[in-house]
Amino acid sequence: MAIAERIVIEAGGVVTPIGQDLEAFWSALVTGVSGISQIERFPVGDLRVGRGGEIKKLSRIKAWGRVPDCRATRLLVSAAGELAAQGGIRSVAPPRLAVVVGTALGGVEEGERALAGDARRRRLRDALYDAPAHNLARWLGAQGPVITVSTACASGATAMALGADLLRSGEADAVVAGGYDVLCRFVMRGFDALKALTRDEIRPFDRRRSGLLLGEAAALVLLRRERDAAGPRLGTLLGYGSASDAAHISAPDPEGQGLERAVRAALRAAEIGPDAVDFVSAHGTGTPLNDPIEAAVLGRVLGPRTPTVPVNSIKPSLGHTMGAAAVLEALMCLYAFRRGLIPPTLHLDEPDPACALDHVRGAARAARPRISLSTSLGFGGCNAALVLEGAP
Amino acid sequence: MTRAPVVRGLGVISGWGRGTAALPEDARAAAAGRPVLSLGRLARDGDEWRRTTREGLIAVAAAEAALDDAGAGPAAIAGARTALVYVTAAAYGASNRRFIEGRGGSIRFAETAPAVVPAEVAIALGVCGPYAILLGGPPTTLRAIHHAAVLLEEGACDRALVLAVEIFEECADLYARADRLSGHPLVEAAACLWLEPGRGTLHLEPGTPRRPNVALRRRLGETFSVEPLAALDYWRRSPTRGTLELAARWRGQSTRLLWTEAMMPFAEAV
Repeated sequence: MAIAERIVIEAGGVVTPIGQDLEAFWSALVTGVSGISQIERFPVGDLRVGRGGEIKKLSRIKAWGRVPDCRATRLLVSAAGELAAQGGIRSVAPPRLAVVVGTALGGVEEGERALAGDARRRRLRDALYDAPAHNLARWLGAQGPVITVSTACASGATAMALGADLLRSGEADAVVAGGYDVLCRFVMRGFDALKALTRDEIRPFDRRRSGLLLGEAAALVLLRRERDAAGPRLGTLLGYGSASDAAHISAPDPEGQGLERAVRAALRAAEIGPDAVDFVSAHGTGTPLNDPIEAAVLGRVLGPRTPTVPVNSIKPSLGHTMGAAAVLEALMCLYAFRRGLIPPTLHLDEPDPACALDHVRGAARAARPRISLSTSLGFGGCNAALVLEGAP
Repeated sequence: MTRAPVVRGLGVISGWGRGTAALPEDARAAAAGRPVLSLGRLARDGDEWRRTTREGLIAVAAAEAALDDAGAGPAAIAGARTALVYVTAAAYGASNRRFIEGRGGSIRFAETAPAVVPAEVAIALGVCGPYAILLGGPPTTLRAIHHAAVLLEEGACDRALVLAVEIFEECADLYARADRLSGHPLVEAAACLWLEPGRGTLHLEPGTPRRPNVALRRRLGETFSVEPLAALDYWRRSPTRGTLELAARWRGQSTRLLWTEAMMPFAEAV
């Protein structure tokens, strides 16, 4: 998809297991903090694995009176609180402010509660996956389009791209775009049943990798057309690409053809070649299947430069945050340029020769990657890629 | 303003039958007290479909209905130059409930992802181009048509499928609790729209009558995200059709899609 008009990422807001604002999130990434802990909010005693990136207490918002009792909504509002505090949203007329968020699970926890006997009508309304986005729009006072995207674990990337589309088509003057997902019994039980969760640490691209752990988070960015963005900015969304595997409903295509098409489409949209890529934020789930597929695709795309382009995965730090993952990773890319540091991939001690890339491991690496590529894969053969440019 | 695509094919299936020609004059009367008009589990030959969800089978049937409408086979849409944009408000509810209540085994978790329904279509028909999945009611379907038009205009694909699927049977009691059954019967439905580049204009904007598609809804019933595609089918079968304007409302948001120069190539497709 060609992004004809440059779309600026003006500000960001996050809530994660390793920090409830951007600065805390960034500091935790570069210093190697892990947000993985025993899950306490719901019972996990019957599961093989009961650990994940759980947010123990939401600290930013003090008055929850106006916000529905729905954890997905509350994560979004927490992230939006940081975004709103930066001021850019207040200058936008409400009918011209849009909301586009991605999620793999929406308000599924509300569905669980409704089926468990909570008869409140609100619970059922919030069980539809588009409810948290509408709740967020109400909290922000946004009256423009409200869109929910669900390309599984690529949802955050798709949401940012659709947000850019709204700006280019003139339907909005500013877009709050991003992604979220909550840790709940539904998703923990599901991934546990798939035996996708590791009892070890998450070790992307490591010989000993044995699976992923889940995390919960929300991450939002404020997108504006470049001509409308006069103030400070985090960076620019240069390009986006997506493609379907058409191979399997839950497993990635072993050849990674869909991911490769998505990456090449994103580079085309950004009007740059692979030679311009300074850094790759990999999906890097730490599952036996994902990592070599992704490494092979990056090798094919980057070609002879593969051994010299730094690659990381931040999932060991906070778990796989599903709908939020791509947006958190995009923000990390922009901060890497701004701060001149690339966060390490935690727990990557013995790189797998089948994943031969220039891994950033052990400690943060001093580098200033202006152009970043971020990859995402999800259930249903969803693949997406973002190309981002940092701003000083 | 986006360049309008043309319609190459449109398939609509519902609890009433195939296409809007199958609709009764009054859905509520025809439902005769049934709160949900189910499509059931569509039968398909072949062991590969044995484990496919009901919603997945319905999605594939809708895509095949669009192919039939265009007089084309799967080879016409296979490959990386076909985009797929999927919409649903609630089709994931059935699989979610099955998983939450432990029916069918925990391994069926993968089927709860909304992305699995379009994946069944992508796998069955070999569609592997650009991809988006939007969740919401009728305005989201208008958004999906617009997104498909953007993909075509930008040259990201040569053709685009907009697919909408809704099923209700497994969660009928929940919808009853939510007062969704007070007006029209819930009618399971799916539709697939095959779009190609055109020459007119497409404009998506807020604002529409408070109760859009009154006549259609009286005949069709409540179909959530499928309604705009059924309205398109209804429109093309109307002898007095004029400028195409599709309107939709959901969660207090209203949207309309103005589509010029859709009619002539559309008529050719019919």
